[in-house]
Amino acid sequence: MNMDAQLIEHMMNPKNYGTLEGADVQGIGKNPENGEKVAIYLRVGKDEDQPYVEDIRFQAIGCTTTVVAGSMLTEEAKGLNFNGIKNLVDATIKLLDKLPSEDAACSEMVALAIKAAVDTYEKRQEDPDYPIITYKIVNSCVPKEEMKQDEEE
Amino acid sequence: MKTLMIKTHEAWLEMLMAGFMSKTQNKQVLFDFSDILFRHFTWLENELIALDVTYNYDRDTIPIKVERLSDLLNNIVKRLDVIDLQLLSSPDKELDARIASDIHYMREVLKNMNDEVVTAFSMERVFPGISLTQEATDALTLFLFEETYKEYELIMIYNYLKAHSNDAYMNRIFQILIDESFFHLKSFGDMGAKMGILAVPRVVMKELYQVEDVVQFLKDGIDEELAAKEECKRLAEAVAKDSFELAKFFDFINHQENYHIALMKDALKHFTGEANG
Repeated sequence: MNMDAQLIEHMMNPKNYGTLEGADVQGIGKNPENGEKVAIYLRVGKDEDQPYVEDIRFQAIGCTTTVVAGSMLTEEAKGLNFNGIKNLVDATIKLLDKLPSEDAACSEMVALAIKAAVDTYEKRQEDPDYPIITYKIVNSCVPKEEMKQDEEE
Repeated sequence: MKTLMIKTHEAWLEMLMAGFMSKTQNKQVLFDFSDILFRHFTWLENELIALDVTYNYDRDTIPIKVERLSDLLNNIVKRLDVIDLQLLSSPDKELDARIASDIHYMREVLKNMNDEVVTAFSMERVFPGISLTQEATDALTLFLFEETYKEYELIMIYNYLKAHSNDAYMNRIFQILIDESFFHLKSFGDMGAKMGILAVPRVVMKELYQVEDVVQFLKDGIDEELAAKEECKRLAEAVAKDSFELAKFFDFINHQENYHIALMKDALKHFTGEANG
């Protein structure tokens, strides 16, 4: 991870960390490899057109990179309508190839947790008892070089 | 009662952070006070358990970024005042009286403490007297954020397990692990403050300390300690060419993990023996 002042600020004071009182919905992103996970809590507002993220919080069982990704992505998600959220998730997933695998896994976990929260909200419009959705990541947290070494051994 | 425990949790951490910020003889006083507040926290937790009240370790964000120590000390005094008022709602009047007595004394000491300029948030990431390469600085920065949180997480987990166990053998082990994690937390927090990157550890998620399978938790814990040893070894190697002193410190921490592994293996043996017997 290359560290600039903005990144360190997110490490020192992660934005939107914690649970959200009066949250309308929750979503989970999970790494099946090591049990790390991100929980997203949303309070959803409604304008004339479509729902939007009135407030958002996250919690993580994971590394500092996950917390930084959570801090950044939840800041971007705040205030977006659900179309905007879907674009944010898609754009994040498309960027993952350009990141080191361990960073990609962390960002993917946050993006999928946000997607899970939005999808759970939409499902619950038809079925209020729909369970909280959990999406599992496909990127590995293990750096590619280490995976290669393990395979060779 | 729950609010009282949450406020005490926040005051404990805020006092600990003040200790990290201090560079004078105030430091030890602030550390001692934070230890006392942690013990208050455990007393209150035990009272909640005795009353069969459900609770968790959630708390609010604690703002600590100040330029002068007195600013934070004033905030702590306000927080102690809130605790003092909250004590009226607690049913154990003897415990309340003991806590109130401590709080009144601490408040007076804090009000009269000499002020200091705080540099713990400068973000300069320079360790005093040591010149590290950019790579070593980044590795140390990441390590300090990861491990400061990890030690706090472990304190909360072992504390919760201890609070919910009546097994004296296990509780002895949990207490030693809490003490060890406190030493590490204080070491890393101090280093973070010197580097200008001091931060309050984030809130621990419930499912981490509300452990359902203690055996699995201990097995995973041993694996995590082994990984932590490797992390310390890597960091010692990364800083070795710039600082013999720092490298030795991380070797020391690496070897300290052997105590944790031995204690957790002991706990695992005791727990599975007991579970099978």
